[in-house]
Amino acid sequence: MLRRTRPALAGMLSAALGVAAAELLAAATRPAAGPLVAVGGAVIDATPTPVKEFAVRTLGTHDKPVLLGSIVLVLLLFTAVVGILAARRRWVAVAGAAIFGVAGAAAALSRPAAIAYDAVPSLLGAAIAGTVLLIWAPAAPAPPGRRRFLRTALLVAGGTVVAGAAAETVKRIKGGAVAQSREAITLPAAADPAKPLPSGIAPGFYSDKLYRVDTALTVPRIDAGGWRLKIHGMVRDEVSLSLADLLERPLIERDITLNCVSNEVGGPYIGTARWLGVPLAPLLAEVGVDAAADQIVARSAEGMTIGTPLATALDGRDTMLCVGMNGEPLQLEHGFPVRMLTPGLYGYAGACKWVTELELTTFADFDAYWVRRGWAANGPVRTASRIDRPQPFARPAAGKVTVAGVAWAQGRGIRTVEVRVDDRPWRKAELLPVPSSDTWVQWRHEWDATPGPHTLSVRATDGTGDVQTEQRATPYPSGATGWHSVTVTVE
Amino acid sequence: MRATKFTAVAAAALFSVSLAACGDDSTSDDAGAAAAPAPMTSSAAPMMSSDAGTDTMTNFGSGCAAVPKDSSNPGSFEAMAQVPVATAASGNPVLSTLVTAVKKAGLVDSLNTAPAITVFAPANSAFEKIPSKDLNKVLADKKTLTSILTYHVVPGKLAPADLAGTHKTLEGDSIKVTGSGTDFKVGDASVVCGNVQTANATVYIIDSVLMPKS
Repeated sequence: MLRRTRPALAGMLSAALGVAAAELLAAATRPAAGPLVAVGGAVIDATPTPVKEFAVRTLGTHDKPVLLGSIVLVLLLFTAVVGILAARRRWVAVAGAAIFGVAGAAAALSRPAAIAYDAVPSLLGAAIAGTVLLIWAPAAPAPPGRRRFLRTALLVAGGTVVAGAAAETVKRIKGGAVAQSREAITLPAAADPAKPLPSGIAPGFYSDKLYRVDTALTVPRIDAGGWRLKIHGMVRDEVSLSLADLLERPLIERDITLNCVSNEVGGPYIGTARWLGVPLAPLLAEVGVDAAADQIVARSAEGMTIGTPLATALDGRDTMLCVGMNGEPLQLEHGFPVRMLTPGLYGYAGACKWVTELELTTFADFDAYWVRRGWAANGPVRTASRIDRPQPFARPAAGKVTVAGVAWAQGRGIRTVEVRVDDRPWRKAELLPVPSSDTWVQWRHEWDATPGPHTLSVRATDGTGDVQTEQRATPYPSGATGWHSVTVTVE
Repeated sequence: MRATKFTAVAAAALFSVSLAACGDDSTSDDAGAAAAPAPMTSSAAPMMSSDAGTDTMTNFGSGCAAVPKDSSNPGSFEAMAQVPVATAASGNPVLSTLVTAVKKAGLVDSLNTAPAITVFAPANSAFEKIPSKDLNKVLADKKTLTSILTYHVVPGKLAPADLAGTHKTLEGDSIKVTGSGTDFKVGDASVVCGNVQTANATVYIIDSVLMPKS
């Protein structure tokens, strides 16, 4: 029994040290590349739905700890066997470590926003585990004594605890440092401030909480001090800018409505904020963009790519690199320290968060993340309108009922909004004032409501005179269309 | 004895690392924890909002077997959890008659944009119990259809634990749910697949159409 216990322990402890070292490296460089979280994610993806359902049903909210515990258990069993076999044949140590490293690396690379580097922590961890076991293993068949084995075991276990604790500390310090670096930023006043809001705007013009739609499992935490933006590709002069470089440039401040392509008709993924940023056009003029380029590929810190038509940065609209939102630095989940914003484009085509690179290229040469998944390469916002009051299935009293909502066609602006009750003629709604054509327009209409069930519909006409289409389209692949309707029962 | 101790140390060390690694993402956003996030599928939507509510995705009932298993299928539980209720139902072959009725009544947007609701969704087999002449008559009468459909909707998301009891429907009349655990009846209808999550509604699939008294 004892003959096998020691090699098994040697296998397990070597692996533990390797995992801890990999987690430490990941914590210090790219948290998403940590092998345990990566393997956990891959296991979740690979688990058949019935098993997943069974797990959630049986374990409830404990499913995640149980999953990680199971991974650790499998790992311990595997490494115990490797340790026992390696005591007889040393090459097993190398092979076992290789399997272990490749599995971790493959899991990390299978994550949606993976970059090549993500394989490194797992491979390094495997190399450490393999090496330790290789040095340790020959001692096992002819044990040099319990004392010496214990010393080595304690050393390796101690190393594991230290590396694990260090990984945790690094995460904590980095988290705190990012928050501090955000608090330390004093945003300069805009050289070109937003116009004061016209009087008569109703509450709700600015969104209390801007929607969040992205693929980041963990919100990237970027230290503003170390952040750089590289502009490269089809340019005359590559540049690398710090946040201080950006803040020294003249800033513009604008009210802009941003919306998500996956928003359904009447859906919630839209919001308005006051944005502060560096206009992109002068920056592009300085780096000298090649005349053949037609796409800006923005890359985020977690590897997301967003492809924006170059023309939309040069046609006079307020395309910018945002540093502030509603008077303060960007929230971490909204892209701190810098995000892109292109008025008139859906977020997936013009609003890369946590941006670290702008590459000038062509649409022929590069498909960005969502384009590879079948979404349209250009993402102009479709003209749309939404009824916010009354809410669906409301039961208002007969008499005067205010029907109100928003309509948007960023860039083109909204000329008219019309409301229809059941199949009666369309009636023009009152439009509230707006600061620019890049925001949504609030509208309202007094309805003389009669008892019974009624369906209210809305449609908008944009600044070019085009009426919003009644034709229903799903959000995929280029944005939802159709008139929003709400059914109510008047009492 | 010592061996046990060392195993414990090794396990503790590994666990401390694993929990630390996992704690980091659960504090910020655990949207992807329970199910494959939308962007994993080939035609996935750019949406992964933190309020998708996938963490309470605990379905129960024999009828759940009829729901597609492949998460890239729009009718699967994973896909339905990401989109509002009428869109979710339209991806599900088990609910195609209901979806036709909802479209005829013009209730797609209302159901999709209601803030938080519970829908008792009759499966196709429930509609098959109604003589086709009667069914066609109801489908052609928007007012009656609307009152029948809204009789299947209750404000708020009802978890299984809150399901039993009397609930006022959006139609105005109340419905009575009896049972417990994973075994419920809504009036005379049985819940065949319960606690299906969509972005804005909790859905209980039932085997009979409910009829308001009025």
